[in-house]
Amino acid sequence: MRVADGKAALRSVGRPRTVDAAQASLALLLNLVRTGTATTRQELERSSELGRAVVADRLATMIELGLLREGELGQTTGGRAPRHMQFRQDAGSLLVSAIDQSSIALGIADLNGQLLVEHHEAAQLDAGPEAILDRLATIFEWLLKETEKPAPWGIGLALPGPIEKPAADFETVSVLQTLRSWQDFPFLEHLALRFGVPIFARSGVQTMTMGEAKSGGGRGLSDIIYVKLGRSIGAGVISEGHLHRGAQGAAGMIGHSRTGDELLEAIAGADAITREGAAAAEDGRSPYLAQALARYGEVSVVDIGHAAQLGDLFCVELLGRCGRMVGEALAPLVNLLNPALIVIGGVVAESGGDSLLAGIREAVYRQSHPMATRDLQIMRSQMGASSGLVGAAQVVVEELFSPSILRGWIGHGSPLLHPDFQRSMERYSEMLALKTATPTGRASP
Amino acid sequence: MSSKSLDQRQRDTATVIAGLGPHGERAVPADQIQLTAADADQARARRFSVAVVLHTTTSDWSKQELAGIAATLGLYSAALVEVVDCNFDVELQIAALNRLAGEPVDAVISIPIGNARVAAAHRSLTQSGRKLVLLDNAPTGMLPGTDYASVVSTDNFGLGQSCAAMLSAHIPQGGAAGILGYGIDFYATHEREIAFRKWMSRNRPDVTLVRERFAELDFAGQAALTMVEKTPNLSGIFAVWDVPAMKAARALARQGRDIAITTVDLGNEVAIDMARHGMIKGVGAQMPYDQGSAAARVTLAALLGLPVPPWVALAGRDVTPFDVIEAYQVIWHLPAPKAIIDSLRTTSEGQS
Repeated sequence: MRVADGKAALRSVGRPRTVDAAQASLALLLNLVRTGTATTRQELERSSELGRAVVADRLATMIELGLLREGELGQTTGGRAPRHMQFRQDAGSLLVSAIDQSSIALGIADLNGQLLVEHHEAAQLDAGPEAILDRLATIFEWLLKETEKPAPWGIGLALPGPIEKPAADFETVSVLQTLRSWQDFPFLEHLALRFGVPIFARSGVQTMTMGEAKSGGGRGLSDIIYVKLGRSIGAGVISEGHLHRGAQGAAGMIGHSRTGDELLEAIAGADAITREGAAAAEDGRSPYLAQALARYGEVSVVDIGHAAQLGDLFCVELLGRCGRMVGEALAPLVNLLNPALIVIGGVVAESGGDSLLAGIREAVYRQSHPMATRDLQIMRSQMGASSGLVGAAQVVVEELFSPSILRGWIGHGSPLLHPDFQRSMERYSEMLALKTATPTGRASP
Repeated sequence: MSSKSLDQRQRDTATVIAGLGPHGERAVPADQIQLTAADADQARARRFSVAVVLHTTTSDWSKQELAGIAATLGLYSAALVEVVDCNFDVELQIAALNRLAGEPVDAVISIPIGNARVAAAHRSLTQSGRKLVLLDNAPTGMLPGTDYASVVSTDNFGLGQSCAAMLSAHIPQGGAAGILGYGIDFYATHEREIAFRKWMSRNRPDVTLVRERFAELDFAGQAALTMVEKTPNLSGIFAVWDVPAMKAARALARQGRDIAITTVDLGNEVAIDMARHGMIKGVGAQMPYDQGSAAARVTLAALLGLPVPPWVALAGRDVTPFDVIEAYQVIWHLPAPKAIIDSLRTTSEGQS
């Protein structure tokens, strides 16, 4: 009996069941068209190594499902001009949000990850998950209605701090467990249920890295490092075209490297800079900051950056020193990864200007191998918080169209009909119903 | 009210910049953009040429914006060589930008009409080597530094919050307020409406919000009437700018209705209505002359190669029926028209 089983198994090697084969070829062709690798029937046959009849059948299926459409005529190479196939990026939309300590950004993107509309506003993370959830839902619903965009296919979310990798597709993870008000709150499940779509979360630094690679300074480059200088300091790495997430999803926490006896972010983060600025305002070392303190009652990183730009010596020196410390933490990464570009973002970078950048360059160039820095560029981000939104959209696109997930839904025409996703939605609702049934005593904000 | 909550209220209204920039930037207030004496000398020696591309040149806002730009450029010996009136036409704007990319101008100040459709033309103007300063908003996807030098705008989020705070006084506990929204994908009116809703949900959760939209100005009056019919207990309306606000006021008056309205911008008609203690109870006003002046300074700084912030913002000014004359002078840099002064006198005599 066991022998017979073994034979059957052997025979099926390399011969997937017909349904699997159909899904696989549909997925393959869709991705070829979507990424622009091959768009005419002839190119598709060549790239996919599928026969003419199969390609014709699969394309017809996808046109019927609303995923592809016939586009313009291409260049003729003798005979009839071929027709280009087009991916319907408006078949659905993607909701994206980047949540930070003191602000939230929201947007809607098309299925190519192109941002169509965005909105940014102040919000306090420590107001608790219910308040943030409510705000996100309110604005998403408003934006969808107002701008008349197609129904969403997924949500991309950027959150501060590392985000663990889920155990399987469509599984969720707990987020922001370091904040007391967020502990045990099923944030991702709530949001997914509210909109009935799958949700994919990454750390803010990782989405910003992806955003810079897609639309910012890193466009067209396959090796970049993004560094976020805010209250915390973190780095994102794209190496040979892929975001490096690490074993647990926690890659890039360079703010935790030691500089002397201190953590880097404790001496070069926004809080440390503001603290030093306030001290200099009080004891008169910085005349500009003394004025700012008198006027606003506090000193901010923005004031310090502005002062440095106006030539306030203390602030020039402070930002330069901060830049050198960050550069010293970056140099080992440059030696290890040989990036083509380092993009510096976050509130300190936005305000810090040239003094900060000069400090970073000085340390990176001094401590890196000359070959690794031969063509290395170090620039300030131009995308601001938009990079997090563009990156979050890119995360959803990569997930929904990854061959393993795509094969599960392409036959149905929408990821919302993916059997695994539908099962996970049932699981979320059961879980939340259970939570509501047994209140934990949490007080709403 | 404790002093702390008063502080908070002031912070919540337009006295400071409440919103974030088109890419989530923190605002740099317009008055921080100043040229030093050395910068000014250098600018005067180089005699720059600047063109301006506007959605229209006939509105009060545009006239003041242009006056601010022209006066400030003139101070630094920069010539305003062309003003393009696009008449709200996307194609006209694209054609104008493409043409300017080949003309002998050093910089262009433009207000993008429509979101994504005009992005490419703006981008190619920058690629032609000219400096580009945007008014009000950057089309989605355009980046500061690469695609444009800076965006100079009013704090639209703050304007929406102000209008909510001013309208709130006229809505009874448990009442209803309406939003007269613009049915076109337009960044500034979006921001105002989002802010209005946010302020109301935070500070007046008891108020029910309803909304009607108009895609063309001529339908604004009808939209207001529809709102009143659908919601009989409606006590106030927020209109996203002054022209539809006045259309609504007139349509409501014809039906014998009197409903409190707040809106954005102190146009002449709105100012007269306020002076007569009509339906307009409050205005969050932009300062177009100051905005134009700031845009001119940012343009000159960018032309001199100085670093310019990606978002320069101006706070709006709250106007109530009690300070409409003074506000008029501040906003329009002109004495208030006689009609406004007379109306106010008549009203106050009538009251006394």
